Amino acid sequence: MRYLLLTLLFMGVAIVAAAVLSRLGGRGWRVEWRASVMAAAVLVLLTAVFDSLMIASGLFSYTAEHISGITIGLAPIEDFAYPIAIIIALPVFWELLNRRAAVPVRRLLREAFVASRPVSWINTAFPFAAAYFLTTREIDWVLVVGALYYLIPYNLAMYGINDVFDYASDINNPRKGGIEGALLQPQFHRPMLQLAAWSNIPFLLVLAAVGGPASWGPLLVSTFAVIAYSAAGLRFKERPVLDSITSSTHFVSPAVVGLALTGAAWQPSTILLLAAFFLWGMAAHAFGAVQDIQPDRAAGIGSIATVFGARATVWIALVLWTLAGVLMLFTPWPGPLAAAIVIPYLVNCAPWARVTDDTAAGSNRAWRRFIWLNYGAGFIATMIMILWWNS
Amino acid sequence: MSYLYLACLLGGIVCMLLLDLRFRLFFWKSPASAALVTLAGVTFLLLWDAAGIATGIFLRGDATIASGIVLAPEMPLEEPVFLLFLVLCAMILYTGATRLLGKWTRKTDDETPPEPEIT
Repeated sequence: MRYLLLTLLFMGVAIVAAAVLSRLGGRGWRVEWRASVMAAAVLVLLTAVFDSLMIASGLFSYTAEHISGITIGLAPIEDFAYPIAIIIALPVFWELLNRRAAVPVRRLLREAFVASRPVSWINTAFPFAAAYFLTTREIDWVLVVGALYYLIPYNLAMYGINDVFDYASDINNPRKGGIEGALLQPQFHRPMLQLAAWSNIPFLLVLAAVGGPASWGPLLVSTFAVIAYSAAGLRFKERPVLDSITSSTHFVSPAVVGLALTGAAWQPSTILLLAAFFLWGMAAHAFGAVQDIQPDRAAGIGSIATVFGARATVWIALVLWTLAGVLMLFTPWPGPLAAAIVIPYLVNCAPWARVTDDTAAGSNRAWRRFIWLNYGAGFIATMIMILWWNS
Repeated sequence: MSYLYLACLLGGIVCMLLLDLRFRLFFWKSPASAALVTLAGVTFLLLWDAAGIATGIFLRGDATIASGIVLAPEMPLEEPVFLLFLVLCAMILYTGATRLLGKWTRKTDDETPPEPEIT
């Protein structure tokens, strides 16, 4: 009976998905239902033959008490739900994407790729993978699925949502459009948000199911931070201090999720390390906001930098980086070595200690170096982790 | 342990793609949409499988025609390949049937007498 319930659940999801999709996209498109029925008939026939063959050759089996026992050939009747669910839902999706009024999917995917900031993918995947791998010390499917999630869909959600809701300010900012981001045309806004949602939900469901209740808190915080940073109504990025905290959460929370999935105990050294990482992330965000003071103010957008001014914000960043380094000194060996990681950041930022709001845009030069500093920092952090691994 | 099952699945996928190429049905009609539809279908079926494995319904066999490589508990390497084949097969059947229906409808239209030609 258990298999029947599972079948009804997923069949229900497919039917609801088909119903919802068929109401999207306005008029002027429809599914060729006669073709669906023809395809379904052939698929059912093929399933009866090949599922029986596959079961006969011992490729897979079922726990006897969980299935209804009704079979067609050797195939349990529940198995036929797979092709039927597919043929109910996928043609609707296909016709929706190909309707005349749709945005070109190829352009949408290209926009999504650029919007997700490929140079920054590693910044969220690495904290997750490192936290998970250093705890379990083995590669398993949860590590692969989680790393994949924090590599692409998570960044697509974070930056995609950001680009949609930042449209008003981005349009006045010549810096957007290159390595650091892109202007997203309004017709792509809705499809981008849908793509972000549907690329994230399956991963979040799997991670939440695998991690159990212990992982729900970190996953919720992580997902909330991604949405709240830029979504209309919340706009944490416009709330001074909260903007830097939320931004840092984007990079630290994957590591916390990684630890939660492994069920690792919370040791003081772990908390120190995460705190140092968090301060580092806040500093990075604060310094990054300095260059945008003028366009942000012109667009009426607040940030830690527009409120405190350029010079004070640079000093806040310098202090936070220093504190991050100091915290690392209190972690067990070889953790203190990582204190040195903040030095290049301090050196990069220090020349702007006397910046004014009028010269703030010039700090973009330092920000560009920043992307490459992160790769260097990641490299050194990896070396220290290997040292720790072997010690 | 052998790669026979995997080879059959890959062969099936190649056949589907050849049909697609010949009649420009799916990937050869709208590659980006086809990729998105395929990804959605395979993800959905993988979640279904995962739920079945987690609830103890599905068990991997030790068939001699399977590679024996597992991606996760009770999830053989061949399973996502099979799901990909199933999705491709379904979509080629649907788009192919749509094409056939279109042809038949046009043929009935053709039976109306042609306009007399003016010479």
